[in-house]
Amino acid sequence: MIFNSLTFLVFFGLVMALHYAPFFSWHQKKINLMIASYLFYAAWNPPFVILLWISTVVDWWAAQWMVRAKTERTRKLWMLTSVVVNLGMLGYFKYGGFLLSNFVTIAGALGVVYHPPGWDIVLPVGISFYTFATLSYTLDVYLRRSKPAGSFLNYALFVTFFPHLVAGPIMRPTELVPQFDEPRQAKPNQIFFGLALLTLGLFQKVVLADGFLAPVVEAVYDAHGQLPGMLDSWVATLAFAGQIFCDFAGYSTSAIGVALCLGFAMPDNFRFPYGAVGFSDFWRRWHITLSSWLRDYLYIPLGGNRHGRARTYAALMGTMLLGGLWHGANWTFVVWGGLHGLYLSVERWLKARFKGFTPGRIAILGLAVLTFLLVNVTWVFFRAKTFAGAGVVLKGMAGMQVKPEALIPFGPMIIAMIIVSAIFGTHLTMRNTTLEAVIERTPAVALAGIWTLLLFAVIIEQGQGSAFIYFAF
Amino acid sequence: MPSSISHSDAHRAEVRGLREGALPPGLRQTASNRPGQAQPVPTRDIPAQPWVKIGISVLCAVTLLTSAWEWNARTNLGLHAGDIDDSAQAWAEQRRLADAAPVAIVGDSRILFDTDLGRFQQLTGVRPIQTSIVGTSARALLENYANDPKFHGLLIVGLADLSYFRPVGVGLGGPYLKNFGKNGKPSQLTGLWIDRFLQRYFAFLDSDYRLSHMAERLDHGLRKGTDSPYEEVWKISETFDHRQYVMWDQIETNSYLRAHARHAWNGFKGPKIPPAIAAAVVARSAEAVRRIRARGGDVIFIRPPSAPQLRINEDPELPKAIGWNALLAGTKAKGIHADDLPQAQNLVIPEWSHLSRKCATVFTDVYVRRLVQLTTRLKLRADAPPPLSRADCVPQRIASL
Repeated sequence: MIFNSLTFLVFFGLVMALHYAPFFSWHQKKINLMIASYLFYAAWNPPFVILLWISTVVDWWAAQWMVRAKTERTRKLWMLTSVVVNLGMLGYFKYGGFLLSNFVTIAGALGVVYHPPGWDIVLPVGISFYTFATLSYTLDVYLRRSKPAGSFLNYALFVTFFPHLVAGPIMRPTELVPQFDEPRQAKPNQIFFGLALLTLGLFQKVVLADGFLAPVVEAVYDAHGQLPGMLDSWVATLAFAGQIFCDFAGYSTSAIGVALCLGFAMPDNFRFPYGAVGFSDFWRRWHITLSSWLRDYLYIPLGGNRHGRARTYAALMGTMLLGGLWHGANWTFVVWGGLHGLYLSVERWLKARFKGFTPGRIAILGLAVLTFLLVNVTWVFFRAKTFAGAGVVLKGMAGMQVKPEALIPFGPMIIAMIIVSAIFGTHLTMRNTTLEAVIERTPAVALAGIWTLLLFAVIIEQGQGSAFIYFAF
Repeated sequence: MPSSISHSDAHRAEVRGLREGALPPGLRQTASNRPGQAQPVPTRDIPAQPWVKIGISVLCAVTLLTSAWEWNARTNLGLHAGDIDDSAQAWAEQRRLADAAPVAIVGDSRILFDTDLGRFQQLTGVRPIQTSIVGTSARALLENYANDPKFHGLLIVGLADLSYFRPVGVGLGGPYLKNFGKNGKPSQLTGLWIDRFLQRYFAFLDSDYRLSHMAERLDHGLRKGTDSPYEEVWKISETFDHRQYVMWDQIETNSYLRAHARHAWNGFKGPKIPPAIAAAVVARSAEAVRRIRARGGDVIFIRPPSAPQLRINEDPELPKAIGWNALLAGTKAKGIHADDLPQAQNLVIPEWSHLSRKCATVFTDVYVRRLVQLTTRLKLRADAPPPLSRADCVPQRIASL
């Protein structure tokens, strides 16, 4: 089920009715929420609920046995059990075909001809998200950052809680499990603010990402042999920057709004990322829950910045390469992650080299523009399905296409550029504040007018229930 | 060791997470501010605003705006409530039914518009399952059935020659076929049912009149060399239950929309189909027909009419000898060509490619009466209504010309 579907609206109405029904105890309401979450997930592919159960049960018991373990070796064994089971499922469903095709390629290069049977495995929706969420539970317990959850129901509900289940924000158990301890009821103003956030998220996804930006991106990236020139390549890539932001931030905003309506707090996942000045700043603003997860459970265990310069750069590159692979089983994603790793490494080196440099306002603006443009270069590898496809667009962006073709009609191009400029401008101006702070300063009449326009646009755009891009990750 | 996920009174205050009033900028921390530690319950600050009043006024304003939009859709755009639109999910629903059906139809938009399923049933007692798809090669759909061991019935293959004999690609129906399995998932089915329910009451819910589509169509080809959305095919049909397509009445009555639809076809101009390609298509079709027959099914081809303004290009691009005639000979299948049906001549084809709503019923009547002569799988009912003719659908003033 996706937020931008009619099915979800009916589902959410029923969940709200059950959640606020006076005749259910809090314990029963949590069970209701868990059943609803399983239905939410099963609406795609019912058998894959089994994977959720496996993940839930294994991690619950792994954490339980970890605290009961008498030796450090036993603790480690239970932690490894959890890691192997979770990453094993992820590896099998997400990377099995990728690994097999690479094995065949390497074998072929060594002169061994191998024809494996077709790897026709369906990727369970959101497996990367809930795998990371549940892994953080056993890892936090292992690292003695937290105790195991006190109740299996609370833990199982943390894993399955539908607002974050399939596309994040990737929540840690310490962020959500305590919220299940006592009854949660949002006040009317919280519910209405949650609905406003849900509307904003749907507007970003349905109207901006799917309605106006996706066709411009597809005109170039799915052009099937037509060669884009400089203008088309840049416009399509900038449009993709807008599309991926509106798609993913739209989902996160909707998820936060939905959880708020039920009385739960979820963490920010985006903080005006295109207003970032530099790449470490970008990753503090883009998909925050993933970047902090990678930092806490990969970068720091790899040594972080505590073991000298070389080790730091190696940890940085390793983290970003694996972060790229997390997004998809394709070498293009690895290159995307690698480019970000390279950017971060260069930035780190520059900061060390020019320690005393303090940029002025103009310099900050210039650096923000430079960051945005360089991020756009990485998006080419994220969006293109092959290196050949990425090469065509990059060649176009560099103005090196010999016989470029016009691919994007004028009207959609202008609309897309207006939207992307508005996103970039908004991120720049709001980079040091929060949405909530700005809303609080805005007159209520203006808020009502904006909310009305957003909701009306969502309704008349209608949408076609297309899935969020990050569902595939 | 912090006890941040276990139940304890000490933590109650900090697990609320929701805070009235916006936090000053810089105070709302995220996980990026707290490296290497258990993350606490996040704080969601609620901006101090009269949210209930705002929400209720938004609800009222949106209701008013949507009502005005609905009024505009009905009065100015000519859309109707009850036009339930088509979708990949709706196609998948019919495709699943087709497995056990005695008669199924595949093809492009012509057989989709030009078959009145109700008339078919009145004449034969059988309601065929309509699985044609607009802008799609009927050959791809024929092969889809050929690869389906569950289908044993009669397959009617309606074709527009150039679409059927196109050398590569499936056309717009590609995603329908590719996502067939996915489109039967519970969430897709419930979405389809709710969508249909709403479309029975709201005319503005029409995929051709989405906000983004209307905005993009303001571009009347301002950039040379690109496919302007203005040049695309706009709405020309209405869809009812069982994927019954009919010509949208606005195409028959609104000269601007009719002219645009004709313009969008661009006369079906294109390169000639090489004889070698045509022969390859015939060979693939023969194999598909053989496989359906091998398990007890059968195939009959139908070529619905198109207007002389299109035939002037269609015929030279694919002469009947290497197209239609070769197809029937190569597949050893029977076929009904609109040219060979005297009662189906000079019907009304408003935008030159698809019959008017009334003439689709006449054409169905004519071809079904011929169909029952070609197959033993269908019989004309004893209480079948009397035959229809051109006079039943062509306006009097045109008929007398």
